Amino acid sequence: MTQILMTSTSKKEISEKQERKGQAVHRVLLGKKQILVTEEEPLLIQLERAGIHVEYQCREGYCSSCSIKLLWGNVIYPFEPLAWVQSGYLLACCAIVKSDIEIAFFD
Amino acid sequence: MSYSTFNRKHFDSTKEPMFFGENVNVARYDQQKHPIFEKLIEKQLSFFWRPEEVDLSTDRKDFQRLEAHEQHIFLSNLKYQTLLDSVQGRSPNVALLPIVSLPELETWIETWSFSETIHSRSYTHIIRNIVNDPTKIFDDIVTNEEITKRADSVSIYYDRLIEMVNLYNTMGMGTFDIPGRGEIEISMPKLKKALYLTIASVNVLEAIRFYVSFACSFGFAERTLMEGNAKIIKLIARDEALHLTGTQHMLNLMASGKDDPEMAIIAAECQDEVRQIFIEAAEQEKEWATYLFKDGSMIGLNAQILGQYVEYITNVRMQAVGLETHFATKNNPIPWINAWLVSDNVQVAPQEAEISSYLVGQTDNSLDDSDFDDFDL
Ligand code: FES
Ligand SMILES: [Fe+2]
Ligand SMILES: [Fe+2]
Repeated sequence: MTQILMTSTSKKEISEKQERKGQAVHRVLLGKKQILVTEEEPLLIQLERAGIHVEYQCREGYCSSCSIKLLWGNVIYPFEPLAWVQSGYLLACCAIVKSDIEIAFFD
Repeated sequence: MSYSTFNRKHFDSTKEPMFFGENVNVARYDQQKHPIFEKLIEKQLSFFWRPEEVDLSTDRKDFQRLEAHEQHIFLSNLKYQTLLDSVQGRSPNVALLPIVSLPELETWIETWSFSETIHSRSYTHIIRNIVNDPTKIFDDIVTNEEITKRADSVSIYYDRLIEMVNLYNTMGMGTFDIPGRGEIEISMPKLKKALYLTIASVNVLEAIRFYVSFACSFGFAERTLMEGNAKIIKLIARDEALHLTGTQHMLNLMASGKDDPEMAIIAAECQDEVRQIFIEAAEQEKEWATYLFKDGSMIGLNAQILGQYVEYITNVRMQAVGLETHFATKNNPIPWINAWLVSDNVQVAPQEAEISSYLVGQTDNSLDDSDFDDFDL
């Protein structure tokens, strides 16, 4: 069963709010969980709001601590992170999700 | 092949490999083979800080009130960090400057090493503030067995590379019988292997070796003890994270073959050895935690928790250089540490002025800059 994690607002409310602003909502799959995110903020802070612990240090793209696997889907970086981004990984602190994506922590 | 402080040859430095190409002549940064190193320099300069700016008067009183076993934890960590930064304040310069071939990388090495000297000076600032006789602490660093064991591991690769490069610069290629050292073979593959292992070992130093100590410093600060020290450690941790990124870039560039195809072959050959360097360092750090807590733990931290933390960050760091993780620990047992490690000024993003859409992997470039107007970290 896929469980939808929501804090205070429902998916519908978020979608409507985002649609009014012309912004998309995307699904982030993580194991059996599904989290909804917008393009307004980096992935890290939105995962944290959903109660998911992600390792971080700098939150500014230069330490690579927040590196997590991107199994499929698209993310972009508004500015080039200083940390090396391994292929197949993303830096959660500065990645903006641009489509539905699936992510994973350590194997 | 002797070193020249100003190479008279005319060549295009953007065509040189990072190391073992031409000696750098003109320090120019208008064109770069690897712009990342110029960016690291700028970031490091923006981090500049002076230890004396941090007031430690409360720490002095706090220290006096610590129990004996807590003083042991605090001072031992300080000694270990002093050792690490003593090494780092000189070794990148001594070992890497004679063989570097790109101006931006040369200056990154100097900037990096300079920032380590700030760390060293901060330890003197701390030690002076909490004890009456700093000499007792500093002297112990060269005699204390737990520390000297670690000194061997952090300096062995540097020392070997320096020795080989010295031979290369004076004698050239060949096999040389060195009194007291035996036969040493100097060839380009051997030199490159020594270099790769040195960078791997420094990467491990920056990545793992400070973190037990950081955790203890923040553990004290969680109890509102030694808070001036914690402020300094935060600044140090911020620098170390950048140094780590520097060594990760060097390793990944080498392994990719994009910089020097021969280096990619060597990197592949060294993979097991590099894994071993990670694992050995992690084991040493776990032993260090046991030594720290031999007479008693501190609230919220003990040798077992710190051991798990070491395993966890070792996994994180191994993954960052494309290695399979080694330890079973998949979660950070002390997640509160990240709130201490994060720098206070994450709002300030000097690069924001020059935002560019940067694409990695499968990305979507259908956005325009206005999509990021209200983006901030
Ligand atoms: S937290 Fe440092 S790169 Fe993301
Ligand atoms: Fe340092
Ligand atoms: Fe460092």
